[in-house]
Amino acid sequence: MWVKPWKLAEGFLIGGGLLAVGLALQLSMGPVRWSLFATPVNWMMLALLLGALVLMFLLRKRVYAFEWMMHGQAAVASLAWALGITLVMGLLPQTRQGGVPWLSQMLSFWPFVLIWTWMMVISGLATFNHLLRFKLSEIPFLLNHLGVFVAIVTATLGSADVQKLQMTVSYENPEWRALSDDDAVVEPGLAIELHQFTIDYYEDMTPKRFASDISVYTEDGKNLRGTVEVNKPLNVNGWKIYQYGYDNTMGSKSPYSVFMLVKDPWLPAVYTGIFLMLAGALCLMLFMAPKPVKKEEKV
Amino acid sequence: MSWNLFVWFALGAVICWALGAFFAWKEQKAKVYLFTFLGLAIFFAFILGMWISLERPPLRTMGETRLWYSFFLPLAGIIVYSRWRYKWILSFSTVLSLVFICVNLFKPGIHSKSLMPALQSPWFAPHVIVYMFSYALLGAATLMAVYLLFFRKRKTTEVELDLTDNLVYVGLAFLTFGMLMGALWAKEAWGHYWAWDPKETWAAITWLCYLLYMHFRRINPKEWRKACWILLLAFVCLQICWWGINYLPSAQGLSIHTYNVK
Repeated sequence: MWVKPWKLAEGFLIGGGLLAVGLALQLSMGPVRWSLFATPVNWMMLALLLGALVLMFLLRKRVYAFEWMMHGQAAVASLAWALGITLVMGLLPQTRQGGVPWLSQMLSFWPFVLIWTWMMVISGLATFNHLLRFKLSEIPFLLNHLGVFVAIVTATLGSADVQKLQMTVSYENPEWRALSDDDAVVEPGLAIELHQFTIDYYEDMTPKRFASDISVYTEDGKNLRGTVEVNKPLNVNGWKIYQYGYDNTMGSKSPYSVFMLVKDPWLPAVYTGIFLMLAGALCLMLFMAPKPVKKEEKV
Repeated sequence: MSWNLFVWFALGAVICWALGAFFAWKEQKAKVYLFTFLGLAIFFAFILGMWISLERPPLRTMGETRLWYSFFLPLAGIIVYSRWRYKWILSFSTVLSLVFICVNLFKPGIHSKSLMPALQSPWFAPHVIVYMFSYALLGAATLMAVYLLFFRKRKTTEVELDLTDNLVYVGLAFLTFGMLMGALWAKEAWGHYWAWDPKETWAAITWLCYLLYMHFRRINPKEWRKACWILLLAFVCLQICWWGINYLPSAQGLSIHTYNVK
């Protein structure tokens, strides 16, 4: 143990250490409060994380643990831990409150957050490492590791900036107020006027289409008309407007239509990560899989 | 196309696939391709017919996804055969496909024309088809792991491990496509790309498990037995993600990925 080079056993112990630290944090500070990460804190955390990665990379020759984290054994250990703790999440019901103490609110459970962060640090360091000795053949590796890093880190840090509102709009009565998740009245800076809410049915009377014909007026003077359907949200000033509900007892005669308004300023960053990952997956299939032909010659 | 006709199309397809598998043993390559692709064409004709008569892609219910799975298994089989010339792979894929065909014969689970609005999206078909193809490849990788762990008498060769790795790499790539397409779709349909819905959580678990296999294989190539065990675990997770979740107490009533309810 702890003889260089470290192997998997050391990796598993480091994960165990993170679990212990996480439990201590959970006991002393309570669950992770993601709402505290709203801008500008998330930008500071991002700078801190990137700074830490650069520092770890520069100190890799002096601190063996950092050197080790750039390599495969560390990746395997962190993946195994992330798998284990996410399995617990999958097996236990996840609820806002109650359930199994701590484990039913896994997303704000410190050990879960620390282990996933550890995995992202390893992915980030691996990206640095391969970027430094860049060759064309490193592109698939870089796409995959950078992609997953960008997608998961920005999705997590950006989550506190996501605004999700609910707006109930009656006929010919433009509405500019909406309700947030915790039932606070919010003004999103746009008003919606409902012209027509329709439901189309199949022959067996199951609903085929929910749609609202609306006008949207924004604070900066935009005025546009459009139809919002399930799977077809409307984009206005960074908001996505979704068809969300109606008066279920009245069917297509519903006197109002309910919309969900979502703003996610970090979405472009997350999508960048997702597209890097898609390109990475393509490379995984085309270039990274073992070549059968060569091996055939060997045998 | 009516569901009642399925038995005939399935019979025709399975006979062709069985002939293809037979000629693989006889090492008559041309006939292998001829019969396997003929079987695939027959089976796909049925899927296409269902698509047209249902006026929507047959992808909504478990029974409908099994239809695609039965189709993709022999397809994955013939791809593997074309690259590695394994005589047994087509027999395997035919038998496995037959199992899913039988499940569909006894428990069709194909319903009305209606397709709820949440599923009416250009993402619907690629998301599910890509996943089914991935499941077929990863199913084949699982068979390889079982074979290597429990049935292989002689020493395991590098070629066999390469085949397993290859199935996982391509399967994992498709798994990633399926997952990320699902994320892009979820943003349009539900307002967020990832919400840790039970189905999503299990998709992440499955994905992590195959990533673990891939990294472990690269780092510890000699410990292939442990790697095979990871593959078995991964396949269990995949099954939970696919259908086991419907029986999992933790997911009851929580998942929005439920479309079978009439």
